[in-house]
Amino acid sequence: MERFIPPILFCTDVPLGHQPAAARLTASATPKCDSRNTRISVLNLKLDHQIGCQHVSTKAISIPMATHPTQYAHPEALVETDWLEKHLNDEGVRIVESNEDILLYDTGHIPGAVHIDWRADLQDPVIRDYISPEKFARLCSRYGITPETTCIFYGDKANWWACYALWAFRLFGHEKVKILNGGRDKWKAEQRPMTREVPKYPETNYPVPKKRFDKEIRAFFDEALEQSKSDKPLIDVRSPGEYKGEITHMPEYPQEGVLRGGHIPGAKSMPWKTATNEDATFKPADELAKIYLDQCGVKPGTDTVVYCRIGERSSHTWFVLTYLLGLENVRNYDGSWTEWGNKVGAPIEKSA
Amino acid sequence: MYPQKLDKIINLFEMLPEDERRETLVSYADNAKKQEPREGENFDLVDVRKDEECMDTVGVYLHVDEDGKAQIRMTLGPEVLTLTRSMTAILCKGLEGSTPQEILDLASDFVTRIVGAELVRIRSQTIYYVLTRIKSVCKVYLDRQRMAQVARDVRLISFTVRAGADAAE
Repeated sequence: MERFIPPILFCTDVPLGHQPAAARLTASATPKCDSRNTRISVLNLKLDHQIGCQHVSTKAISIPMATHPTQYAHPEALVETDWLEKHLNDEGVRIVESNEDILLYDTGHIPGAVHIDWRADLQDPVIRDYISPEKFARLCSRYGITPETTCIFYGDKANWWACYALWAFRLFGHEKVKILNGGRDKWKAEQRPMTREVPKYPETNYPVPKKRFDKEIRAFFDEALEQSKSDKPLIDVRSPGEYKGEITHMPEYPQEGVLRGGHIPGAKSMPWKTATNEDATFKPADELAKIYLDQCGVKPGTDTVVYCRIGERSSHTWFVLTYLLGLENVRNYDGSWTEWGNKVGAPIEKSA
Repeated sequence: MYPQKLDKIINLFEMLPEDERRETLVSYADNAKKQEPREGENFDLVDVRKDEECMDTVGVYLHVDEDGKAQIRMTLGPEVLTLTRSMTAILCKGLEGSTPQEILDLASDFVTRIVGAELVRIRSQTIYYVLTRIKSVCKVYLDRQRMAQVARDVRLISFTVRAGADAAE
């Protein structure tokens, strides 16, 4: 069986304390596997000055591939709590909290963090869709964000909504995005500083994005249907009970208005939580590869669609597949089960 | 009509601008722990459970005094949402001194007047859950009171019948 090996970034001479150390690199070109998938080359590595790794070898390297990756494909997409505490006031960094609990930010947050409300700030108030590029530009400007700002997202529920907000930022083409590994719970459990002081930043003039990247990272109903019909990878990240059609709401949550239970025909069940450790951090790369490449049959170069109920849990899985495993062509079907389960004529499978 | 204490809280929230409303809700949430049972308190009914639609365990403790006035205490698990904590503190304070029947008759339309339409979402429906739990405890209390009354009445009737029969003999 052909295996996809996510690119391994190699970093030398990295200052101590940057953990995951090699994470402070970004590749300016997509790493390429050779035709036999036995070696990988990483070219044009460059420094990410925003997060301060300053002594890195930038020569092209070629390293043997293992059966499964030992390191995340884009380790630079994660920051650790320890690192963040030391870089709270870094210029060019904006910490963004996004939660399910809508008042949680008000009860205390990481010093300097701004709050993005997934519904009030990111969703259109009338149409079921995201805000316009103009509104996104206004939102970023309000928080002193420019296209060059590195936005570090974190939140409750093991970063569901942080990943959702990050995905929405990518939808508008904002490239410098990261997740705080372990999210709010880990930060708090480690008794790191919290404040109720709401920061004020000088307003910027974020340019209105020319397009929204719907086509690239977002799937709509017809595309999810096509994915199902063509037997391409579809991952249902909801709980097993929701997948089987035994329940029409998330366990421990109120009913969100779905008429029927079950899953999209052909979808594999892989609850989002499978990707996380007990402390809400992400599992290592090799474990993630086993879960998604081996068990879910996801392949590089093949379109993959992930879905849940309204698109937040699947944002978490989208982040894992895109940034930690380095898969391209992964799209989040944000209409998810609240659209599919209510849609007239949509085929549904109920199975064990 | 709402109970007097609750009415005051509703009026306070309705006067607040949005940012102060949020601050006040957080302040109530901070005080939710003060609504827990205190040492030495006795209760007529205790209902502690974790329901499917709530994220954590919620406990409701009801004491009804000699005048028939209710006092409610509540315990909340750590996963309970901030807004639900706020509503817990508001209801414990606002319903203090009401009778169980008054609580049972309370319409839930005041919730949006306190919380504001912006914060009431599908996933924050558990703010209604707290009221539902309080009402269910009051209902059980009243049902038991009625059952006890019926039992007393039956005993009285049978005593009267027996006494009448004895007199006839």
